[in-house]
Amino acid sequence: MSVGRRAFLQFVGGAVGGTLLSPLPWKLADDSAIWSQNWSWRPSPERGEFTEKPSVCQLCPSACGILVRLVNGKQAVRIRGNSNHPFSKGGICPLGASGLQFVYAPYRIREPLKQTGTRGDPNGFKPISWDEALKEMGTRLAALRQENKAPSVAVITGQSRGSMSDLWRQFMTAYGSPNLFTMPDESDSQKLAARLAFGTAAPFTFAFERADYVLSFGLNLLDGWGPFVRMQNVFSNWRTESAGAVQTELVQIEGRASVTASKANQWVAVNPGTEALFALGLAYVLIESNLYDAGFMSDQVFGFDNWTDAAGNSHEGFKQFVLKHYSPDQVSKETGATAEEIIAIGRKFGAQKSALAVWGQGRGTHASNLYHDLAFMALNLLKGNLKNNGLVSLETPPPFAPLPEAAAVSSTAEGLAGTRLDLASSAKPPLPGNALHSFCDALGGSPAYPLELLLVHEANPAYTMAEPSLFRKAAAKTRMVVSFASTMDETAAMADLILPNHSPLERLDDIIGLPATPCAFYAIAAPVLAPQLDTRSSGDVLLTLARAAGEATAKALPWNNYETFLKDRVKGLAASQRGAVAGPTAVNLTTMQAGQNLQPNYKSDSDLWKKLLAGACWYDAPGDHLATLPTASGLIELACRSLPLAPGQAADDKLFLPHYQPLPPSGAADQFPLQLVTYQTVTVAAGLHPNPPFMNKLIPDDLLLGNEMFVEIHPRTAQQLQLADKARVVVQTPQGEAAARVRITHAARPGYVFMAQGFGHKNQDEYVRGKGVNANELVEVQLDPLTGLGTVWITRAQLRKA
Amino acid sequence: MKNKGLNSSGKGLIGIISFLLGLVIALGVGWGVFPTLLYSTKIQPMNFLHSAHQDSTCEDCHFTRENGTYSGIPMLAKCAECHEDAQGDTEDERILVEEYVQQQREIPWKTYAWQPDNVYFSHAAHTGDQGIECVRCHRDVTGEAKLPPYYENRLTGYSKSTMKMVECEKCHADQGTSNACNVCHK
Repeated sequence: MSVGRRAFLQFVGGAVGGTLLSPLPWKLADDSAIWSQNWSWRPSPERGEFTEKPSVCQLCPSACGILVRLVNGKQAVRIRGNSNHPFSKGGICPLGASGLQFVYAPYRIREPLKQTGTRGDPNGFKPISWDEALKEMGTRLAALRQENKAPSVAVITGQSRGSMSDLWRQFMTAYGSPNLFTMPDESDSQKLAARLAFGTAAPFTFAFERADYVLSFGLNLLDGWGPFVRMQNVFSNWRTESAGAVQTELVQIEGRASVTASKANQWVAVNPGTEALFALGLAYVLIESNLYDAGFMSDQVFGFDNWTDAAGNSHEGFKQFVLKHYSPDQVSKETGATAEEIIAIGRKFGAQKSALAVWGQGRGTHASNLYHDLAFMALNLLKGNLKNNGLVSLETPPPFAPLPEAAAVSSTAEGLAGTRLDLASSAKPPLPGNALHSFCDALGGSPAYPLELLLVHEANPAYTMAEPSLFRKAAAKTRMVVSFASTMDETAAMADLILPNHSPLERLDDIIGLPATPCAFYAIAAPVLAPQLDTRSSGDVLLTLARAAGEATAKALPWNNYETFLKDRVKGLAASQRGAVAGPTAVNLTTMQAGQNLQPNYKSDSDLWKKLLAGACWYDAPGDHLATLPTASGLIELACRSLPLAPGQAADDKLFLPHYQPLPPSGAADQFPLQLVTYQTVTVAAGLHPNPPFMNKLIPDDLLLGNEMFVEIHPRTAQQLQLADKARVVVQTPQGEAAARVRITHAARPGYVFMAQGFGHKNQDEYVRGKGVNANELVEVQLDPLTGLGTVWITRAQLRKA
Repeated sequence: MKNKGLNSSGKGLIGIISFLLGLVIALGVGWGVFPTLLYSTKIQPMNFLHSAHQDSTCEDCHFTRENGTYSGIPMLAKCAECHEDAQGDTEDERILVEEYVQQQREIPWKTYAWQPDNVYFSHAAHTGDQGIECVRCHRDVTGEAKLPPYYENRLTGYSKSTMKMVECEKCHADQGTSNACNVCHK
């Protein structure tokens, strides 16, 4: 027996040896590794032919050219920048590169849904057919119109740079409701400032390419603001040495060491919210040191010197006003900058040949206080930047043909014809803008009339709006909320009916104008994929609803589908015989002249349409905004005498002039000794689209660790509060409170708490929701008394150990 | 308990025999049985003869696109350019026209050289810039009378003739090209 056992062991030994000398174990090990790569749940593109389709990214207003790689023409596997695109030149941002994760997101809405339970119940949504959904909506719209309740329908759209916004406007005008809003952004207040000063409501554009000295007042030029790829290219050029070229200097005036501040030549850490005051201090230096463009100010600008109104009353001009109130010593105290700093920067700004001042909060997602926009504009005026072909201009819209006339409203709610809900109260602002916050505030309080239907398109106000509780309260007062979302976001989750839009890569859409870019722009975003789910283009849905809502809307929106409407627009554009199609050669914004006549290089409207569908874009030189100024004086009005004063308001000279106008935050300073400021970073998507999983990998551990997010405070603040780095705290503001951890850093200004936006989603999927807190929930929105626009100023806050 | 039947040299002999027996069986299984078991033999959907397409150049069907990607095996549309109707009366021609072209169904060819997803290989970089001949990596198809059987690895699903990494590395080493991981794995 023992021999048998020994022999067996020797046999096994031989077998092991033989096995090791054969390919079996090695091949198995190798193949097992390959086998594990092909587990069925591991995503893998299907096999087939690869093609690439050009389109334009619609995830932000930058409208970058993209190429989408497809397998067998139906499965998208990659997005890259299109190097033939004349503006983005192959550049793309992290969000754009992750765009496919929105098409294939598990939280996409697969079909129309109706809430059958109580509002907000995630299990209450039941699928409903498109026919049923559209019939219900059409009947409701027609009935409301019949009952003279047209103004009780409101629309919020997040697509302000596209024909969808014009289509909504056309619909609402014909339907008879003034309650149409776009999601707030910096252009809301800029348009009003330009309307007062230039008589034209258009946002400002900046020729960064031609500037040699840039003062950025809180604007996160390199953290995702405005034309993202253009700014990266511009900055790269600023930092590239070339013989004979002057290197542009960037000065960042901001309370936090953002990426832009870190990369600037000079960082001036002022108290957040006092940037406009700092700008007026610089204006003082320019005027006092005689470094301003005196010829331009006297020939082209009204109100720089003292002026007299039609009634013969004399008024103080900007020059005297600034010299009286904004000396460096006066400004220094509140901004936290030294008088010497203000004088030095002011003199440098005055002395540089092409000095430019740009402004805004972070990525420009909030409207500004109107007087502050005017103050920054005044600083540019002093440098002569608003001359024809200067560094600052007004956005030029493409010359589309006018839309069919929308019939005047014949019957609306009793006594409320044409009155927007937020303007129906007695405290009506003198210069109302796109005041979504005021609208929500009015609706959530005691509205002048009830709201029956609220349609939300390409927007997620329940999350992205500053102080989103205002929207939630407003929605709670609305009989029915309808969402057009393509993903289950916070707003869709609280809707009664969801009519899901195609995702951006599945739909045909367009982009009108590039933010802050000094040329007219138009592009078509061609669909690169067939719709993956039972969704419909919101443009098509709106046209269907227009036909059902009544004769007036059907007549004003006569197009069979959205594509026909867009083709009509392009037809109008081609008929204007203006502009050109930009091909692979980059458009040179440095040499483009205002009013320049570009030779149209398209043969017909169908040729233009074809080229636009293939990923090219139409552009035109900016208009000459000084040629015929439609202001009362025929000049740029620095003293805004067209500003309507509220009844009974004393005509104080200050009211007409750019000035620093802080709005007092609520809460007691002793209870809330700190100030909360929110910020955005390029690694976190904070808008309509939540952070996709690809971008989650970019988030550093000192911003989000697990599900806990960090707020930044200065070491001195930490010492005062006896907080150690990474300590768990509760951030409390008059608006609410949230848990966080502290990151102690010199990047923060003492006395302030900096909190990143883009976290704290409540819906979507496990990769998105439950990470950190939504900073928007904690900030306080203050309504600009002049425009009713919601401005985010400073919010009082306290930190305490958790 | 002591075994009285065998002396120590006898035990040693049995030991050697047992060891060798184990060794030989294992070698046999490892070199002979295992490779046979590992692969299943599959046949292609139809027989395709490169030699029957001598009126076309290789590049008519296998070409590098403008963007540098390689077309690989042509899609059905390419076949349909000539085979919209039957070009002969063979069974393979019937299968092509009736089962694929007329039904607009892509032919599920089994690719002898399909690489895993994590391998980034550019034909353009090898054939264009380096001038490497197709037959350096692929079989010579010019004289083929029948498509060779397709041996599918039961574990990985890839073809037996899929080139292994060691081959790539050898050639890269010979050419003095980098063998860094990120050259082929992104």
